[in-house]
Amino acid sequence: MHVLIILIEILVLFAVIMLHVAYATYFERKIIGHMQVRMGPMRIGWHGLLQPIADGIKSFFKEDIVPEQADVVTFRAAPIICLTAMLTSLAVLPFAKGWVLANINIGLLFLFAMSSLSSYGVILAGWASNSKYTFLGGLRSMAQVISYEVAMGLSLVGVMMLSGTLNLTKIVEVQGGSFGGMYIFPQIIAFFVFFIAMLAETNRVPFDLPEAETELVSGYATEYSGMRYAIFFMAEYIGMMVMASIGTICFLGGWNGPFEVTIFPPFWFVVKVYAFMFVFIWIRATLPRYRYDQLMTIGWKLLIPLALGNIVLTGFIKAFTG
Amino acid sequence: MKIQYKPKRNLLQTILHSEIMQGMAFTLRMLFSKPITRQYPQEKPDIKLGFRGQHALVRDEETGQSKCVACMRCVTVCPSRCIHIRFHEDEDTGSRVVDSYDIEALRCVYCGFCVEVCPVNAVVLTEMYEYAAYDRESIFFNQERLLANWDAFAEMKGAAIKNYVNPFWRPRGIPESRLPAAKRLDVPEEWTIEGQVVGNLVKREQ
Repeated sequence: MHVLIILIEILVLFAVIMLHVAYATYFERKIIGHMQVRMGPMRIGWHGLLQPIADGIKSFFKEDIVPEQADVVTFRAAPIICLTAMLTSLAVLPFAKGWVLANINIGLLFLFAMSSLSSYGVILAGWASNSKYTFLGGLRSMAQVISYEVAMGLSLVGVMMLSGTLNLTKIVEVQGGSFGGMYIFPQIIAFFVFFIAMLAETNRVPFDLPEAETELVSGYATEYSGMRYAIFFMAEYIGMMVMASIGTICFLGGWNGPFEVTIFPPFWFVVKVYAFMFVFIWIRATLPRYRYDQLMTIGWKLLIPLALGNIVLTGFIKAFTG
Repeated sequence: MKIQYKPKRNLLQTILHSEIMQGMAFTLRMLFSKPITRQYPQEKPDIKLGFRGQHALVRDEETGQSKCVACMRCVTVCPSRCIHIRFHEDEDTGSRVVDSYDIEALRCVYCGFCVEVCPVNAVVLTEMYEYAAYDRESIFFNQERLLANWDAFAEMKGAAIKNYVNPFWRPRGIPESRLPAAKRLDVPEEWTIEGQVVGNLVKREQ
């Protein structure tokens, strides 16, 4: 019986997240459109509201082309690795008090593991396609993920030190319901590092070098078509959502808000995640891409030292204030 | 000359990324501005004076045929050589009779030279622009098609077709005495300054 309930919960979460992913693309296209003084999708449904559904149906029925020279098994598996890793990390996210599939004590660590795993999908896709563009995209992705994973992990060490736990639900509870309790204030440096590393981890502008539509013809996904291409996109958007959730949980106090919304407990969580998503999109509409060496410089020479300094500072403060 | 590529920033501006913030503020401002998109099939653009659209041969109200006198000036002036005219000379009167008048609209560059050079205002680039087709044949205009184009244009313009004149039929900035008789048309008030027909350049300088 217990297993059945969990299965139903998983199904509901999956459906809701997929719907969110579909409408996140719509949200992004609309916002970018209006920021570029265009309108974005307008044709299908009222103000293009059915556009994501149409896109989904279209990509589902498109031919699944596998290049002749490709490594077929890896080629087929890569997008699935990406998506599975991203979807798995949803299991540990607490959307509201008690609204979590797996309340495990190593939640944060699990999230890191999964987000690193999903980059395997990208690298394997780049390798298996047997094309120079995808290979370059895969290589760039590998280098970028290695550099920024470190910074990201270190930036959250401060949060772990303050809360004394890796359990995401506990982290939120320690922050409490008050505005001043949010970890963004004591951990402002960590938040800065985390935010930049988050952009890099999700391959978003200005760190979208693995994709780089304009120079690598969308990098590792060049040889993919139809549903498999769409799966990469889903993985990217779920990744954005997961990263936004980590930011919300670790720095913005999770589901706590100025007042309780009893009919829909995750209300504040969703609001904060969408605020993060909006900033993602806002940045994409504004900034150009970094040059590759600049990307590496920021990662190794700026973010990692800052994160390490933050750990030392937090340690000192915690040691002296008790 | 010393070019400063990067404006100088103080420490605070560097830490706060003042330039990125400026850019972000700009895009945020644009988010709430009115989009300039025109939802095309529902909203048509308003056509400005001197628009060069689908080709047509003016249907003469007296004869019901085209006004063309087969002077071959349009054929000569056409830079893309897309106009083809065949004619023969009438044995009794010695005047030219047009056998066929073809325009390959796919080759046309819409420069309007043919309209400007025509001494009898027979050929015109109308304000119609929706004539995309699925085959090349339907964008190859013969004489009947060109006359039909004019009828469609006349229908679109309604009563205004009586006084229709475009800036190519009555080239601006040229004195009356130097124009062929048929091109000395009455023009709307707004084209003229002190009785002289003038172009945009003169108007802009005023």
